[in-house]
Amino acid sequence: MDHLTRLENKSIYIIREAYYQFKDIAMLWSVGKDSTTLLWLCRKAFFGHVPFPIIHIDTSYKFPEMYRFRDERAKEWNLRLLIGRNEGKLEEGMGPGQGSKLDCCNELKTNALKMVIKKYNLKAILLGIRRDEHGIRAKERYFSPRDSQFKWDYENQPAELWDQYQSMVEEEEHFRIHPILHFTELDVWSYVKREGLPIVPLYFSKEGKRFRSIGCVPCCSPIDSNAQTIDEIVEEIRTSKTSERAGRAQDKENIYTMQKLRALGYM
Amino acid sequence: MKKFSEKEKKVLIVGIDGVPYSLLNAYIKKDVMPNLKKILSQGFRLHQMNASIPDISSVSWTSFNTGVNPGEHGIYGFTDLKPDSYSLSFPNLGDVKAPPFWDILGKKNRKTSTLFQTYYPRIAHPYRSIIFNVPHTYPASSMNGILISGFVAIDLKKAIFPESVYPYLRSINYLIDVEAEKAREDKGTFMQNLFECLEIRKKAISHFFEEESWDLLFACITESDRLHHFFFDASEDEENPYYESFLRFYVELDKFVKDLYDQFIQRWGEEGFFMILSDHGFAPVKKEVYLNRFLEEKGFLVLKKDGNFYERIEEGTKAFDMDPGRIYLHDQDRYPRGAVTKEERLNLLKEIKEAIGSLKGDSGEKVIEKIYEKEEIYHGPYSLVAPDLVCLPKDGYDLKGSLEKKEIFGQNIFTGMHTWHDAFCLLPEKITFSEKPFIQNLTEYILQYFTPSPFPSPRWGEGGGEGK
Repeated sequence: MDHLTRLENKSIYIIREAYYQFKDIAMLWSVGKDSTTLLWLCRKAFFGHVPFPIIHIDTSYKFPEMYRFRDERAKEWNLRLLIGRNEGKLEEGMGPGQGSKLDCCNELKTNALKMVIKKYNLKAILLGIRRDEHGIRAKERYFSPRDSQFKWDYENQPAELWDQYQSMVEEEEHFRIHPILHFTELDVWSYVKREGLPIVPLYFSKEGKRFRSIGCVPCCSPIDSNAQTIDEIVEEIRTSKTSERAGRAQDKENIYTMQKLRALGYM
Repeated sequence: MKKFSEKEKKVLIVGIDGVPYSLLNAYIKKDVMPNLKKILSQGFRLHQMNASIPDISSVSWTSFNTGVNPGEHGIYGFTDLKPDSYSLSFPNLGDVKAPPFWDILGKKNRKTSTLFQTYYPRIAHPYRSIIFNVPHTYPASSMNGILISGFVAIDLKKAIFPESVYPYLRSINYLIDVEAEKAREDKGTFMQNLFECLEIRKKAISHFFEEESWDLLFACITESDRLHHFFFDASEDEENPYYESFLRFYVELDKFVKDLYDQFIQRWGEEGFFMILSDHGFAPVKKEVYLNRFLEEKGFLVLKKDGNFYERIEEGTKAFDMDPGRIYLHDQDRYPRGAVTKEERLNLLKEIKEAIGSLKGDSGEKVIEKIYEKEEIYHGPYSLVAPDLVCLPKDGYDLKGSLEKKEIFGQNIFTGMHTWHDAFCLLPEKITFSEKPFIQNLTEYILQYFTPSPFPSPRWGEGGGEGK
């Protein structure tokens, strides 16, 4: 069995096991390459039709290409799409330009997800996080229970969604399941290529720049790259000195640092 | 667990970010701070102190933590440019080249400095420290004791060592910092947040004081700095709507310091070493001064319309400023579009010094107090990357490195600005100084206290040693 098939089998096994254990389950889809890979695996696990709902947390600040991609795929793959929006805060005008970006993430992503979990009484969520993404995920498990006692259980430490800093998702009692934890960034791209998976065009180079990870327009910046095909992306990642993880985590910290400094009159 | 005995050496350091000597003195006289007054009558003395240059928390606290000057510890501000580029970088604890005193006391042999070389061999066994909320200690690295990083810490999980303190901090909803962004929207709520944050800080400090074993506890209160940035105009103006809140903050500080002091004396009596200090002073802002705009108008700086921050620097640029008054020459061999040759450096420095030095405020008064060349104030291997000139302003003129301004002078929401000359320290009266103390020179007293015998000269415990 080849490498990608082995990864795929493992993921599908986890997805099926999760669905067997929890009927009140949903998958979180950010429309990025990782969760789209997860979605593809969910489709494969159930022979084309995903039997649970797919959640998209809509901050209203995503790229137009992402909305288009989401709606096209939802139709094509016959998905039961649940859109999570923190309408209250959006009406109040919450956005990255308003107050702190931290609040913005917290309200429009974390709290929006909390609302969805509550509304649909979900007991488990499938997430497309990967172990190589972020240092803190190194000790992550495939099935990660959330402790109601606030206990620091290192072995069972839950992920921080979207690298949320400072503020944490409230300790609801639900499971987080990570079927593609064992994929690396390179694996994901190789798998996308092998499967002929459709992917948001933002990942491909346009005028010398491409996005290595995508999210909300105001908080994403492209990297210098001429990779216009998946083969070129694979080659770029293979030879790249800066890891996706380092770049992303550090970029995010730098944004917050800058914001903190500016609030006190520096820069 | 280690058992305490009365004869053991114990140090308690309380850092209060941005508290000026002159205001503290005034409040002691006004009886806003009766407890501090009482402490002063029990064998302590209050000194006016010079901060580091520049008088920025990251530089000043790092100078205190390491006991050496920026030429040795390598930190000159909250921002730097990455080598051979114009992109901003944000130096953090990992970029500090000299070891902090807690590593010398903890017998951690990782980095070296002049102070390390003198004291490391003389510390008999490892001492355990708790370092709490001290600016520029992020991300937390391993050490002998506990480290909770202060400003600019971002991710709490990276701001603590060891991980085992996390559940406690989580349980009290610990906050790394008050959100200063909010002051712009609602000053009243921000003031309230400051008090809430101070409460959390006090709670955590008391917890570590009581529940952990330590030989040295160094705890910083940073809400004072934020209070001053946004409300310094209220400090002595009874008509100001925030006057009472401002005083109440100092009353709270006074009580908290007393509680810590009483507990400390009760447990360890006269054997202990107690000190309080700030990292810089504060003064009311008259005007902000945008040095980059000035350099632009004088033709030293050429900026492109677009780009991020310093990436806008064009080829003709001779010099630029970084917060607050750090002037860098745009050297040919150091920057991609660098234009300054070795030969023209001396003249250029002179020219810029004269130009900046002649800056005048509205009523014709001088804006700049002094301009230092790097060789005058920095010594050590990392003075190579030091700013070529550092400007110190007159009180009231807050120097800024912004690249966006269209005028040289301006106003912002801030009512307080850092001062270099008006930090303070409160020390046992047996420590005396022949000249005004300087923040980085205090560190040696701490290390010396832990050595078996005072060396090279009896500065500690011999009644009136000589300060550096």
